[in-house]
Amino acid sequence: MPHRWGMAVDLDRCTGCEACVTACHAENNIPTVGPEQAARGRAMHWIRVERYWEGDFPDVRLKFRPVMCQQCDAAPCEPVCPTYASHHTADGLNAQVYNRCIGTRYCANACPYNVRFFDFFNPQWPKPLHLQLNPDVSVREVGVMEKCTFCVQRISAVRTQAKAETREIKDGDIKPACAQACPAKALVFGDLNDPESEVSRLSRSPRGSKLLDDLGTLPKVTYLARPSDS
Amino acid sequence: MDRRDFIKLTAITGTSATLASCGNPEHQLIRFIPDDDLVPGVAEWKPSVCPLCSAGCGLSVRVMEADAEVVRNGERGLVKIAAAKKLEGQPDHPINQGGLCPRGQAAIQITYHPDRLTQPMTRSGARGSGEWKPITWDEAIAEIVSQLDQVAGEPAALAFLARPRRSRRLELATAFVRGFGAPAPITFELFGDEVLRRANAISFGRDQLPTYDLARSRYVIAFGADFLGTWNSPVAQNAGYGAMRQGHPQVRGTFVQVESRMSPTGANADEWVPVKPGTEGVLALGLAHVILKNNLRPDRGADRGAGAPGVNNVRGGGAPGLNDVRAGASIEGWSGGLTAYTPEQVEKISGIAAKRVERLARELAEHGPAVAIVGGPPLAQTNGLFTALAVNALNALLGTVGQPGGVSFMPQVSQPLAVSPKPFEGLATAKVLLIDDANPVFASPKAWKMRETLEKIPFIASFGSFIDDTSSLADLILPDHSFLESWTDGLPESGAAVAVANVAGPVMRPLHNTRATPDVLLDVAGKLKKPVTLPWKSFDEMLTSSMPEAAWATVQKQGWAEVTGPTPVARPALRAIAYAEPTFDGDAGQFPFHFLPYASQALYDGSLAHLPWLQELPDPLTSAMWSSWVEINPSTAQRLNIAQGDLVDVTSSQGTLRAPAIVSPGIAPDVIAMPVGQGHQTFTRYASNRGANPVSILAPVTEAETGALAWAATRVKIARAGDPDGSLIMFAGEMREHPHEHEVR
Repeated sequence: MPHRWGMAVDLDRCTGCEACVTACHAENNIPTVGPEQAARGRAMHWIRVERYWEGDFPDVRLKFRPVMCQQCDAAPCEPVCPTYASHHTADGLNAQVYNRCIGTRYCANACPYNVRFFDFFNPQWPKPLHLQLNPDVSVREVGVMEKCTFCVQRISAVRTQAKAETREIKDGDIKPACAQACPAKALVFGDLNDPESEVSRLSRSPRGSKLLDDLGTLPKVTYLARPSDS
Repeated sequence: MDRRDFIKLTAITGTSATLASCGNPEHQLIRFIPDDDLVPGVAEWKPSVCPLCSAGCGLSVRVMEADAEVVRNGERGLVKIAAAKKLEGQPDHPINQGGLCPRGQAAIQITYHPDRLTQPMTRSGARGSGEWKPITWDEAIAEIVSQLDQVAGEPAALAFLARPRRSRRLELATAFVRGFGAPAPITFELFGDEVLRRANAISFGRDQLPTYDLARSRYVIAFGADFLGTWNSPVAQNAGYGAMRQGHPQVRGTFVQVESRMSPTGANADEWVPVKPGTEGVLALGLAHVILKNNLRPDRGADRGAGAPGVNNVRGGGAPGLNDVRAGASIEGWSGGLTAYTPEQVEKISGIAAKRVERLARELAEHGPAVAIVGGPPLAQTNGLFTALAVNALNALLGTVGQPGGVSFMPQVSQPLAVSPKPFEGLATAKVLLIDDANPVFASPKAWKMRETLEKIPFIASFGSFIDDTSSLADLILPDHSFLESWTDGLPESGAAVAVANVAGPVMRPLHNTRATPDVLLDVAGKLKKPVTLPWKSFDEMLTSSMPEAAWATVQKQGWAEVTGPTPVARPALRAIAYAEPTFDGDAGQFPFHFLPYASQALYDGSLAHLPWLQELPDPLTSAMWSSWVEINPSTAQRLNIAQGDLVDVTSSQGTLRAPAIVSPGIAPDVIAMPVGQGHQTFTRYASNRGANPVSILAPVTEAETGALAWAATRVKIARAGDPDGSLIMFAGEMREHPHEHEVR
């Protein structure tokens, strides 16, 4: 059976520390755009921590929610792409082929989660910052769309390794950079087709829900709610 | 030519290779043979130690090939080097257990920073002019030796300024200055924890930061401590917190946060209790009063009564005994049942309703193991020591000291830090100052006159890797290797149950013409007219000799080892103290708001403002990037006609700063908060002249008992100063694809 990669985000564990955000930058060669471009809404964070304020002082509450590409099974970004740069892989990822992308930005327009980022210019890494670039991840140039890949390079590396050792991929072998970094272990990644995997177990939790579920996008990211206060 | 044809053509002719090299002159450079033993495409993982704060998280560094530009025999070329690519938390490290905070992840940018100092330099213009002349290491060492020789024999003529870190590195610097006949290094950190260390010495005999076994706590009440963000050992505390919430089937721990401005930590609380600044200790004793009066104390049987002195760590077991007695005895009225802290009295002082105090106390007593945490703003008041002692006494009463799910103290093999509450004092007599990566000109109130004091010192040498507000005043720059290029060590004082020594060797070759500061000190020591004799030839020799052979072998493999040794026990004089009303700088009529500068989740105390990843990291509570801002309660903002983004003048008795406003519901109407981090006069291309520095308008108020800077005890007034100027940059907001600039108005 093919794999079906998914993630569970335990909002009861997540403390909003944003370790995942920096980890994602480091792993995926995501550029910083600088204050002028950031002010124009062009900052790139494949994963972000959203915040929801409730109530007024002194009875005020805040809820954090890390949001990355939801890797939808019925992804609105895919059918709108004229060049098939946005497409669905056999193991269920919403992949982006950078050198097919011609920058129509239809996909970003269609995505209800606002998790696709357009390269408005060539990324800058003033030397020697370029030495930190991850050789496993391509650097995107001007005019293409980029987004969370569930760290597909890590998935491939583990797949290759498992094949070399003629074994199956074990649950927990693959950790995207965000899940690896998370100090509170709020992010769990794995195979949704394996009913015994940690991510499958968590996805069945009664605390679980999908982001904007009623849109019918069938996301593969499950959010586990913080239990309401006693 | 359309795209399809172009692709066909490139496939045949190799046009793409030619085109690519046209735009990139570096593709025409000669390729040299690498010195490093590396296999392209294969990653190697090497242990290291995160240098950013005193938590001491273990790192696993991914090392792979990278193309570096070098000059060999006068010819420019490219060479493949083994370069650090990514920092991850080391899975087996007892403190961070595989996790790493956003700041630690970004530490790699220190090594590769485009504005890092690449070689020794001497000042060529006036002091602070930013004009430098490159020199050789021989010249630099000769200069510092000659400067030191000139002041040899004069007492207190040499001063060494560093950040307080338990480490062999600081021990080496101490041995150097002591050998020279100078006082011990002056250590300074804005968000230091001197008050809490002193309180722990009094209550528990341990002059260090506490460790919390949150994973097994069922009820946590934290007073002001941003323990999931920036305080103490945040990664270890996040790991424990996650397990407390969802690590046990059926049992979910409860978390209550007491503070006047919602911190990223407080945002996670089940119950958020806004309290008047400086009255947190009263609330803690109010809880204790209710527990004592109603005899709710959790039954811990054998724990009571006499026992061995000292504190037992969580997994060590044993009876804490004496600690209860000492912790209580430090509070006036403890044995009489704290009659001065009835819920009604607490309500009057702290603003927390009596009924709520009663309920919280019952919950604490009933849902053991319960633990109270204190840190940050409550201890940065004039009565901070009292507050810390009150929370310590509450913990002792709850019976969780040294117990599972409670507070404990990590065994130590090093002496407690000697922190200097007034760093400027030791500098007044200095004729030669050596600075090891401290930036007090930025991180201290103007009233301390740090800049003026430094300007009067005849000779200053800096070992830091960057020109910042302080090192810009130096005469000589002797840049250190980065932590990834050199031996690095730390002796963490909290975050695990066992004593840990972090030691790691270099994971890559130095990129620049830099030298490891400890080795420079050893070099200088031997070259002085009257040499300072130190028992080591190099820093790594010192590290080797600091631990048994078996531990050294472990350290080389994993970057840390469990070490054993007698833990120093403190026995300061015990004296019962009572609540004293906090005092604030500035008259409440003229300056109606409490001013709360806080450690930024991204930039910490400002020492990380030069890292672009952290500048562009959205703040967890506001999503602001690259910015300074002032947090104001909505009702206050409305009253003063201030809207989001409007420029606001914040004025204390010490001066005025201007920054954009963020209207935030998570702050009391009489409190104004501002993140520390921005406002550097000079600190690389990413942080220079960006935003405002809240520390600059702090009054030099001190905690009454310890003399530590009471950085939360300044009052301010605010006024709208103008329309938004675009300096407030937020990640959240409108859809990225439809910014306002495209709208037809």
